Amino acid sequence: MQSAMTPSMKDALSVVAPRASVMTSAVEMTGYDSDGLGYKHFLPDAVVIPADAEELAKVVDFLHYSGLPIVMRGAGTSLCGGPVAAQGGVIVHTSRLRAIHKICPEGLWCEVECGVILNQLAEALKPSGLCYPPDPSSGPVCTIGGNVASNAGGAHCFRYGVTGNYVLGVEVVLLDGSVRSFGGPAGGRGPWREDWKRFMVGSEGTLGAFTRFWLRLSPRAEKSWTFRATYPDLRSTERAIHGLVRHPAFPVAIELMDPHAVAMVESSQMAVGLPKDHFMIVTEIDGPAALVDCRVDSVAEVLRSAGSKDVLFSDDPADRDKLFKARKAMGGLLGQLGLDYLVQDAVIPKRALAGVLQLIYDEAAAAGFPVVTVMHAGDGNLHPNFMFDSRNPEELEKVEAISKRLMECVVEVGGALSGEHGIGNDKSKYTAMVFGSDSMRMQLAVPKTFDPAHQLNPLKVFPERRFAA
Amino acid sequence: MNERFFEPFVDAVDGVMCVSAAADAADIAGQSAPQGLRFPLLLQGDAPLSEQVAASAFAPASSRFGPYCDNITGMNWELPDGRRVRIGERVVKSTTGYDLLRFLIGTGTRFGRPLDYVLRLRPACDGGGMFSLRGSPESLEIAAAEILRSSFLHWFESVDWIGGNGEPWLRVGVHCPTREWTIFADFLSSLAGRHGLTMQTAPGDGQVMDGLPDLVLKTTPDRVIPLARKMASDSGVRCIAMCYCAAVHVYLPAGSNFLERVTALIEPESDSLNTIGGYWHSRHVEPPNPCAEESAWIETLQNGWSIPA
Repeated sequence: MQSAMTPSMKDALSVVAPRASVMTSAVEMTGYDSDGLGYKHFLPDAVVIPADAEELAKVVDFLHYSGLPIVMRGAGTSLCGGPVAAQGGVIVHTSRLRAIHKICPEGLWCEVECGVILNQLAEALKPSGLCYPPDPSSGPVCTIGGNVASNAGGAHCFRYGVTGNYVLGVEVVLLDGSVRSFGGPAGGRGPWREDWKRFMVGSEGTLGAFTRFWLRLSPRAEKSWTFRATYPDLRSTERAIHGLVRHPAFPVAIELMDPHAVAMVESSQMAVGLPKDHFMIVTEIDGPAALVDCRVDSVAEVLRSAGSKDVLFSDDPADRDKLFKARKAMGGLLGQLGLDYLVQDAVIPKRALAGVLQLIYDEAAAAGFPVVTVMHAGDGNLHPNFMFDSRNPEELEKVEAISKRLMECVVEVGGALSGEHGIGNDKSKYTAMVFGSDSMRMQLAVPKTFDPAHQLNPLKVFPERRFAA
Repeated sequence: MNERFFEPFVDAVDGVMCVSAAADAADIAGQSAPQGLRFPLLLQGDAPLSEQVAASAFAPASSRFGPYCDNITGMNWELPDGRRVRIGERVVKSTTGYDLLRFLIGTGTRFGRPLDYVLRLRPACDGGGMFSLRGSPESLEIAAAEILRSSFLHWFESVDWIGGNGEPWLRVGVHCPTREWTIFADFLSSLAGRHGLTMQTAPGDGQVMDGLPDLVLKTTPDRVIPLARKMASDSGVRCIAMCYCAAVHVYLPAGSNFLERVTALIEPESDSLNTIGGYWHSRHVEPPNPCAEESAWIETLQNGWSIPA
């Protein structure tokens, strides 16, 4: 198919941004046609990799007048069809904007470019004794820009919070090529009357192109304890979760694996000796050594009194890794169960867990799909993974139908469509379940303010956001 | 689809409750305390919560739990034309659509007003209290910086520098199980000893309500005490610097000409605050007019939010 990025446009772009890499052949663009969702493919018309922030601004300005959709992309680890060219157009890849400009230990902030890798920042912060707490599991590859765009979370955000809680300021290239800062090291509004950065966080590339951020830092915990416990049924598992969320030790993470997930790990070379038909909880407490040491026994007692007969815990880093091993190994094992998987990201009131899990199991069984579920249980953030073969249209239809029924159930019990992955184009069709006509109008007024034609990442967040060149 | 709204509820499992925006501290505690939960972000016991949220983005306990906008998960909101909408969720984590919740919470009544809040509650403990540290201004500042870099930071309810009426002092609040009190006391006692500070303790629940500030200045943690100290010494006003939140709450004497005094106080600070992405805010003074570019954005938003022709 002919690319909408014509040779003359490509030539003009190379004048505007001479150091940028521009790719237009399908072979060159392999890998850019999908994100972590994996099974939905959208080949872009071109991929541009600007050399720096200045060039990125020029590229955005150029593309604005080109009449092509513009899709900003970090590492592409999104799990909701976020940074993909759903309506064609040009993907602008930020992989070369990887500078950590400043770490200010006294002010507890840092200034980073949007393409900085999460674990790169973690390494850079180590000597300061500080940390940036959000920890999505894609940390070794995901970018801060993608994290901010999707308001990413992670296992430890039950106490520490998600990305948005740590964004002090955002520098963004607007569609006209102008560069604006919303906030800064102080985390306020700056010279603006309103706090526009609030819209930028979680906006999934629909309002502007991020170039850099000011992020809040936190002192690193002196010591951590990790606990692992298994439970024979959901009722005892829920008792443990409810006890943990109310415990004054305020765990940093409360992770749940259902029996299907446990069985998957135990049937693999990553087995750690868990009973296959049990639920597993991994939880962690951290803080000053004297404080967490004083809390260990009471946390273990919460886990035991809920009905676990095999509560293990340790403060030794190597042992702690072992206790967390099953949870961490799970993601890599999913591919063994099916060609494709769809992971959902709903957040539910915790008292609705039994009902929602049953719906997941019933739907998967009826469709004949394996399903394994993990959960950031402290937040009620549920990740069921449905395994299927996307080459089979019938299976594709079934998995979409399951997603729809799950989302209807989530909204019915008072939950949210997404806790940390974002909406992308995978869940955009469900937004009408959440927003009434007035609140939908309020939502759509936000992109209208910054991008009235929906040129930036069209068809994401809301299906109404279609770009008409 | 029809608009959905939050109904009044208390969910002890999820630790959330929906209350009227007019609720005060007693109303909130009346529903949350029987569940063993509390809402720690309070500025003044008898003030409606909406007035507290409008007065400042922060309360002393924001040091531990973050600003109001991180502790309010949803709202029923009334638009200027009287229509009502639901903003946000009743679960504590969501990235579903644009974050109208955090945007609107900081806008006062410029885009409407809150009717109800969904509050994130925290476990209530049986112990706690307040530590006061006194000594030379320089030592206090060094001690505060040390607390901010320590692993204890997240477990202190509040870490506040207080000045303007006499010698400055450091106030550290703790809300914890009784058995943990001595751990906090040992840490602060050691800190006081290293920096030549005297320490006093007062038992309680560690929560403090200083009242609604007349002026709020937002800066960075390393600048907040110097800013508060400068304002307190130059103007003789009572200043409370919330060290981790990096916000200064300024309290003017009753009967002041608030407009005149606030204007005089912010005039020398405004530009430097803006430069670092900070701000000033006063419940007595309208914010400065937006620039042309921002005016256009606001107009587009307001047009989009109004009833279509």
